[in-house]
Amino acid sequence: MPKQPYIARKQELPLSGDATSLFLQIMISIAVFIFALTLSGVLSINSMLYNWNQSILGSLTVQIMPVNNANKEKARAETLTYQQNAVDFLQKVDGVTKVTPLSDEQLKKLIEPWLGDGVNIENLPMPRIIDVKLAPDAELNFPKLARDLSQASPLASLDNHKLWLSKLIKFADGLKLMALTILVLVLAITSGAIFYTTRMSLGLHRFTIEILHTMGAKDTYVAQQYARRMAFLGLTGGLVGLFFAVPSVFFIASLAQGIEGGIISEANLSFNDWLLIASLPLFAMTIAMLTAYYTVKRTLQKML
Amino acid sequence: MTTDKEKEALPSSANNNFNIIEMNNVGLRYDQGPEILSDIKLALKKGSFHFLTGKSGAGKTSLLSLMYLAQKPSRGAVSVFGNNVNFTHRDNLALLRRKIGVVFQDFRLLDHLSAFDNVALPLRVCGMNEREVRKRVTELLSWVELDRHMQDTTATLSGGEKQRIAIARAVINRPDLLLADEPTGNVDNDIAPKLMKLFVELNKLGTTVVIATHSEKLINDFAYPRLHLQDRGLHIYYPSDISALGGIHA
Repeated sequence: MPKQPYIARKQELPLSGDATSLFLQIMISIAVFIFALTLSGVLSINSMLYNWNQSILGSLTVQIMPVNNANKEKARAETLTYQQNAVDFLQKVDGVTKVTPLSDEQLKKLIEPWLGDGVNIENLPMPRIIDVKLAPDAELNFPKLARDLSQASPLASLDNHKLWLSKLIKFADGLKLMALTILVLVLAITSGAIFYTTRMSLGLHRFTIEILHTMGAKDTYVAQQYARRMAFLGLTGGLVGLFFAVPSVFFIASLAQGIEGGIISEANLSFNDWLLIASLPLFAMTIAMLTAYYTVKRTLQKML
Repeated sequence: MTTDKEKEALPSSANNNFNIIEMNNVGLRYDQGPEILSDIKLALKKGSFHFLTGKSGAGKTSLLSLMYLAQKPSRGAVSVFGNNVNFTHRDNLALLRRKIGVVFQDFRLLDHLSAFDNVALPLRVCGMNEREVRKRVTELLSWVELDRHMQDTTATLSGGEKQRIAIARAVINRPDLLLADEPTGNVDNDIAPKLMKLFVELNKLGTTVVIATHSEKLINDFAYPRLHLQDRGLHIYYPSDISALGGIHA
């Protein structure tokens, strides 16, 4: 009985020597990089919308327009009376937990970014603002409340922030749609590149595949070798893309933090969001593997 | 090697006397070219041994390729192990091919692989475990006196050594049908009889053998029927016919 040496098994299809391997790896790493940035953008917008929604949920703003009178003292006193009427009315409404008229000092702070800090608010026809907090389970009929309020205090108007928020949501939805289009395009381009390089490789290894077929190999046998190779390229390419994407996300986030106004800085990625971004190399691996597998199966169908 | 489950998937050919290969009015052409083979009628019984002869370009390799299911006929019907290839599913064709051993004239070895890996190929595509693969391949390579070259890539071997690797690869799976295209063309005179003896032994064990050859010596040394391709048609001669005709020029 001859001695049986240990011989490491080599893949019948020498796919690791394909010139297209490096191209695909770079392509996948770029795709994952773009994908990660875009995805983090989408997730940030989502978190921003959530934060906005949370911050305005359970609150109302009532505005009392200033009384128009040449006598500023009188006009201010009348405006404050309308404010007090509105406060009295709101305090009696079911579901309202707190009614706080903003003081002169608070109003001054609100207009400071536009008019500076040297303004004497008493000389300006300033509307008065009332901040209203609602109970979490409050079920208010806003149109009716607005009508009743204007009867109690004719210069009062109610703002439940819905208009402001709906415009922002519309804008954010537009951004999200754009980002999703980018994601779909990146996915399509990457899959297309894998499809064509796989077909090219099948042509390159036609001789070996014919031999394998002659030996009785099913299409699946060949497809699995391609799928394994593409899975490796997808995973390594994906990890490289992620390696560059993570610091970029942090960099963009730090730039956003610097923007004053508190709108963009409210975008924070949660642990789950980071987990999703970190799983992108696995996603790239799966896409690469499946694309290669089905491309091979479909192409080989045309051979006997 | 075909698993039991896979065997069940194949159409039954339980009758031991069925024809391994049957061709009826088979024609073969490449693209829009003229027919290379015309109206071929052939029935190879299980356990038979035939030589396939004919001038260069007569279509020997094409006829063999129809037999090992590398292509379908342009017209007519080819049945292999009782399965009409025109109506057999791709996966079942693969299972049929596992029962066929082929020795190519140009060897068709995978030069990036070692001699061992080349011979192991038919066993691995069937999913045989590596332990059994190592056992069988080592034994066979030793038998064809190539155990020293087991780990060498086939690109580094001589023509005769490649030929022996090609033959070892064809028989490793103990095929039901063995097709060989000039199998002794590149081997030394002392190796050729040994390889022929292997084919004869396999035939005695029930393997159906078809050997395409130009070698008159080989044909004369072994009294087997001869399939002769001439004028795109196939003629069958038995040893008694050949001697009566005073020989046929291959």
